[in-house]
Amino acid sequence: MLAEQAIRASEIILAVAYVQQSAEFIRGLSPEKLWGYIRLILSLLLLCNVQPLFVELGLFVIACILLQRFQGPYCGGSDCMSILVLLCLLLAHAAPTLFWQEVVLGYLAFQLTFSYFQSGYIKIINADWRSGCALHDVFFITAYPVSQHARTWANSRRLLFLMSWAVMLFELLFPLSLLNHYALIMALVVAASFHLANACLFGLNRFFWIWLAAYPIILWFQGRLMSG
Amino acid sequence: MLRLLLPVLFPSWRFFSSIGPSPRIHIAFLDKVDQIPTEWIEFRPLPEFISVKKGLWRLVHNPQWNETLFVNTCAEHLFEAHSRMREQEIMWRILRAIHSGEINHTAEAKFVTYRICALIREGATVTQTTTFIARPAMITVALGKSNGESC
Repeated sequence: MLAEQAIRASEIILAVAYVQQSAEFIRGLSPEKLWGYIRLILSLLLLCNVQPLFVELGLFVIACILLQRFQGPYCGGSDCMSILVLLCLLLAHAAPTLFWQEVVLGYLAFQLTFSYFQSGYIKIINADWRSGCALHDVFFITAYPVSQHARTWANSRRLLFLMSWAVMLFELLFPLSLLNHYALIMALVVAASFHLANACLFGLNRFFWIWLAAYPIILWFQGRLMSG
Repeated sequence: MLRLLLPVLFPSWRFFSSIGPSPRIHIAFLDKVDQIPTEWIEFRPLPEFISVKKGLWRLVHNPQWNETLFVNTCAEHLFEAHSRMREQEIMWRILRAIHSGEINHTAEAKFVTYRICALIREGATVTQTTTFIARPAMITVALGKSNGESC
């Protein structure tokens, strides 16, 4: 995949993710509602590939305004990844040379890989995660499960133990998938399924869409690594 | 601004690193501003079940749930230190839920307050401790004008 193709594919998914987020803000309180409308228009322009550099600049300014408004991300990690993808695509357009374009896209690929690896690492060094207790607590006491029925997963101790280890091993081993194109595609399919499960069980819908937006860049990055 | 932007550009991806106290928010209606609340109701209790159709729709559009997650984030910040901004953010959203008819109240109720409880598991026991009670706000306050300024 060429860098330009990866950037465009990433922009299309980012635009869809931003349309989704903006539509939710439009249902919110007055200040974020206004920014939601403006961001929706800009996202549609990005989807149609209209002046992507300036549109992404506008989206970045709004992202900063919303960061200030909420004194941090509104939706935690999904907002971090949204801004990261947006800024890297913006800088890729603005990069003076191919080298700098590859540096910013490489940074995004690194952050995507690191998002899985670090998440797996901090879990596996925690005894509660290794025993399955932490995932039990996620279902049992946190505010994340989307329904009382989802909360009853806390009773399936053996399943949660297996799920904990499956998640930890997948996240830790994710960087190894960069060694082979087909292994990476498989890993991304599993990762997308993982985000989908999180969306269904914990309502983390924004994570699903925005992590997908970085996948074309890591596919390009893997090809670039292998070609030397 | 840089203080807010840097953790986003160089993020720490420590999802569910440890499971700390989990917030629960309860609201109470008051006839008078100085009344002691006696009856608390849970703010946005979980539904029993989400159908596949509804689950698929929520994958695309789920503003209320994401707002609730933001409210919980504000509550977690209030566990650590008081913040007028975080306190008001939660109150505005409760007031909007009342104004939109999501939460019903009696005609006598003029004010609303909320409390934040921390759910903690210690061994086999789960305890619930009230960590914060907000200043009451007038229910009739216009969100657009004052953004739910508390009394």
